[in-house]
Amino acid sequence: MKEFAAILKNEMIKTIRRPRSFIGFAVISFICLMLQGAFYQDGKEILATVTGQLDNVFSIQGNILNGNLICYIVLQTLIVQMPLLVAFVTGDLISGETASGSIRFLLTTPASRTKIVLAKWLSGLMYTFLLLLVLGIFALFVSRAIFGVGDLMAMNSEGLTVIRADDINWRWGSAFLIAFLSLSVVASLGTMLSTIMDNSITPIVTVMATIIIFTIIGMFDMKSFDLIKPFLFTTHMISWRSLFEDPIPLNTILFSCGVLFLHIIIFLGIAIYYFKRKDITT
Amino acid sequence: MKNFVLLLFSFISINAFAIDDAKLLIRDLNKKFNQVEDYTARVQMKFNIPGVRMNNMSGNVFFKRPDRFRIRTKGIFFLPKQNPMQNMSAMLLDTSSYTSIISGYELVNGRNCAIVNIIPLKSVNELILGKFWIDVKNPLVLKTQITTKNNGTIETENVYSATSQYTLPDKIIIKVETKKIKMSKMMSVDLNKKAQDKSKLNEVETGTITLSFTDYKINTKFSDSELEKTGE
Repeated sequence: MKEFAAILKNEMIKTIRRPRSFIGFAVISFICLMLQGAFYQDGKEILATVTGQLDNVFSIQGNILNGNLICYIVLQTLIVQMPLLVAFVTGDLISGETASGSIRFLLTTPASRTKIVLAKWLSGLMYTFLLLLVLGIFALFVSRAIFGVGDLMAMNSEGLTVIRADDINWRWGSAFLIAFLSLSVVASLGTMLSTIMDNSITPIVTVMATIIIFTIIGMFDMKSFDLIKPFLFTTHMISWRSLFEDPIPLNTILFSCGVLFLHIIIFLGIAIYYFKRKDITT
Repeated sequence: MKNFVLLLFSFISINAFAIDDAKLLIRDLNKKFNQVEDYTARVQMKFNIPGVRMNNMSGNVFFKRPDRFRIRTKGIFFLPKQNPMQNMSAMLLDTSSYTSIISGYELVNGRNCAIVNIIPLKSVNELILGKFWIDVKNPLVLKTQITTKNNGTIETENVYSATSQYTLPDKIIIKVETKKIKMSKMMSVDLNKKAQDKSKLNEVETGTITLSFTDYKINTKFSDSELEKTGE
C-alpha cells in the first residue's frame, strides 16, 4: 500500500507540474471571468431574449441576473470545453511516457503494471477534480460575489424553472459531483487510449474527436440519431442539468450516473488489461 | 310611427335605468373602497403559468390609495403587467373618467351579479373596456375582465370573507392568456431533450396566479418606503 501511495504521490506531482495542466486552469478562469464581465455589462439585454416573450403579459419581479444564473450559464457553456481540457492532460498520461521512453524506468520499479495504471488514472481524476474546483470557485462563488445570491431561473427546452435560493446549494453540490463523474469518463477514456497508443498526440485528438462527434450527434433531432443517443456517454454527461428541473427526474439521473460509472469501469478495465500485456518497445 | 316612438322610448328608458343602476352599484362599492386609505397583508402566491415552473411563495402586500401597490418578498415571481389589485379600486373611484352600464346579470359562485361595463371617456387611457361582476345585494366585485391597449385581456375572480366590508378579497385568482416560451436548443443547451413542437408554440394557453391574503391591517399609515423598490 505504501508503495502504491508513493507512486500515486509521484504521479500527482508529475501531473500538476506539467505546463499543460495550467493551461486548463487558465482557460477555465479566463472563460469564467470573460462571461462574468459580459453579463455584468450586457446581461439584462441577453436575458431579455428569454424573458421578453413574457414581457407583454407579465412583469417579472426580483433579481434574475444573480450569481446562481451566471454559474448555470457558465456550466452550460463549458459542457463542450471541459472534457477537451481533461483529455488534453489525461490522453498523455501513459503515451507521453511511452513516447519519451521514461515508461521503461517507471516499469523497473517494484510496483505492478496495474498499480501504475491505477496511479496514473487517479492522478488524472485528481486533475479533473482540481479543474472542477477552480470552475466551482470562479463560476459559483465569484459570480455570487459579483451578482449576489438569488433564485435561479433555469432555462431548459420545456421552458423556465425557478429554483428558490434556499433550495439550491445541495443541487449545486450534486451537480458538481455528477460533473465530476462525467469528466471521469473522459479521463478514463483518455487513460485507456493512452495505454493503447504510443505517441502523446493521437490519444488526445481521438478523445477530443469522439466528444465532438458524440456531441454533434446529440444536438440533432433525427430519428436515426435517436437510436444511437442512449449509448453515447455524452448524452449522460449533461444529466447534472436535470437537478434543476422540478420535479427532479431522479430515476433518469441515477440511470445516467450508472451508465457513466459503467463506462469508467470498462475504460479502466481495458486500460489495465491492455497495459499488462503491452510490449514496451520504445 | 307610434309604435316606433314607443319602442325607442322604452329602449332609452331601459338603458337609462341600466346606467343609473350601474352608477348606484359603483357608488355603493366606492363607499367601501373609500374606507381604505392603506392596508398591509400577508400574501401566498401560487403560480400556474404555461412553460414556467415555480414553487409557491409568500410575502407582504402594501397598498396605498389611489393605486400604489407592492408585494415585498425575497425571490423571483411573476405578476400580470396590469395589476388587478391596482386597477380595481383606482379605476372605479374616478367616476368622471368613464361611463358605466349594466350589460346583464349572471350568477357568480351562487350570487346574483350585475355585469357592469366600464368604458373610458378619454382615449388616452390604457383601458379599453372593463367588465365588473358586482354582487347586487352586497356590492362586491366578484369577477373582473379588463382589456387594455398593450397588455391584452386579464380576468380575475375574487373571494371574500372577513374583510368584505372593505372590499378586500381573501383570494384573487388571476387568469392570463399567454403563449408558451420558445426556448432554442442553443439557449437551453438541452442536448438530450427534443426540440419543442413548433405547432404548439403559438397556441395560447391560460395561466393562473392565485394570491391568498391573510392578516390584513387596514389604515395603519405605514411608511412610503415600503412601496419603494429595493434590490430584493
